[in-house]
Amino acid sequence: MENKVNYNPSFAEEVFRNVDSGEEIKMCMNCGVCAGSCPLSLQMDYPPRQVFALIRAGKRETVLNSNAIMLCTSCYTCVVKCPRNIPVMDVMHGLAHYSLRQGFVPRKDTAAFGREFWNQVYKLGRIDEKDLPRRVFFAGGFMEGVKKTLSFMDIGLRLLLHRRMKLLPERKIKGIRSLRKMLDRADKMGKGGAVT
Amino acid sequence: MKYFLYWGCSLEGSGANFLVSIKPVCKALDMEFEEIEDWNCCGASVSYAGANDLAIKVLNARNLAIAEAKADYDIVAPCSSCYIQMVKVNHEIQEDPALLKEVNECLAQGGLNYKGGIKVRHIQDVLYNDIGVDRIRDRVVNSLNGLKIAGYVGCQSVRPYGEYDSVNKPVVQDHLIEALGAEAVPFPNKIRCCGSGIFLPEMEYCMELVKNILEDAINHGAELISTVCPMCAMNLEVYQDRINEKYGTDFDIPIVYLTQLMAVAFGMDLKKDAALHYNVIPPEGILKAAIG
Repeated sequence: MENKVNYNPSFAEEVFRNVDSGEEIKMCMNCGVCAGSCPLSLQMDYPPRQVFALIRAGKRETVLNSNAIMLCTSCYTCVVKCPRNIPVMDVMHGLAHYSLRQGFVPRKDTAAFGREFWNQVYKLGRIDEKDLPRRVFFAGGFMEGVKKTLSFMDIGLRLLLHRRMKLLPERKIKGIRSLRKMLDRADKMGKGGAVT
Repeated sequence: MKYFLYWGCSLEGSGANFLVSIKPVCKALDMEFEEIEDWNCCGASVSYAGANDLAIKVLNARNLAIAEAKADYDIVAPCSSCYIQMVKVNHEIQEDPALLKEVNECLAQGGLNYKGGIKVRHIQDVLYNDIGVDRIRDRVVNSLNGLKIAGYVGCQSVRPYGEYDSVNKPVVQDHLIEALGAEAVPFPNKIRCCGSGIFLPEMEYCMELVKNILEDAINHGAELISTVCPMCAMNLEVYQDRINEKYGTDFDIPIVYLTQLMAVAFGMDLKKDAALHYNVIPPEGILKAAIG
């Protein structure tokens, strides 16, 4: 009889090995409570339940390109609701991290935002709230940057006028060098790197 | 009572009205704060784009380790993202001692070590459980006289652990609102997400979330919405005219931090202490009318 399900465990094994919290999907019974509770599931090509099923079916490209893995608002509703206690949010974050490292870009703007966020943490130890959007806006090139900056001028100005923008540039924390050493070590020790 | 106050990056910028109001309000309630020396960002919700899970844990463990070495006060984190990031580290190392070993191997690169003994608490938790509604009520000189307030809890200040409040039906913020003499209106969206840290890059999708929250609060009679999170405050307040443009609505409802309301009710200066002029949608009129 023909095997219509086409399970292919190789990608699932890759996920278990390399993705933070990846092994948690072993517990998934595909009930769909995560999808039902997710604030953005209607915008997702494949809600979390389907992402997990696709991992089991070996659909590597589909999963790592799925917008779902980068549309997580980190609201923890799925984590609270999952009847199998899967930290669904952590799995999605792990998949997004792995996807970007493998050269996929599931959501362009959120990827640029998240990467720049982490760059600032690594460079300064803190976030410079006015510098972050500027860098993100210009991530897609100069013209796009000018356009996006202009479209957000009203918001920036409003915050500035209401004293909700720190005027001085954010300075590095004193222990920035030692913080970077700690983070470098974690980067080597933790998951999410090259395919093994 | 003494605490560490970890206010984080946002409260120095877009959430400045939260920090400005926290300080005098907590002082009036005999809380003393110490800053965590040379603290770093918590990584918030989107750092996974650049960092693996261990790096984000180490980032938070650095703050915890610095505080733990200094004193055994609890850490108060008013920003719900800072709060949940640190609480999460504590929970996970408790469940998995091997993780604490890994974290410490990384911290050792900077001469730090974390034993895992420091408690992290949200500001709602300390106000409710350490100070208590009775003491807060006693301090009120300008009752908010039945002003209808929707207490927007959001996500990360209670989920997923429910350390001090129910994850499904949170009540703490409502009790605090009522201690100020206001009326806390129930609204089902109080625990629905506003889009949090990805609101800016995913605005087209997230505006609908905020629209639903505002609509629900107003339909339940709210004249004002209170929050305890700088991301909630920003997303609910600053984009109202864009939402109006997109959905043909006419939202113009003030979004005020709980501690700003407390400052007003405690009879403090509306600018210096309550920082009401920091709000983009002015709440002065409604609040002045309420206190009479």
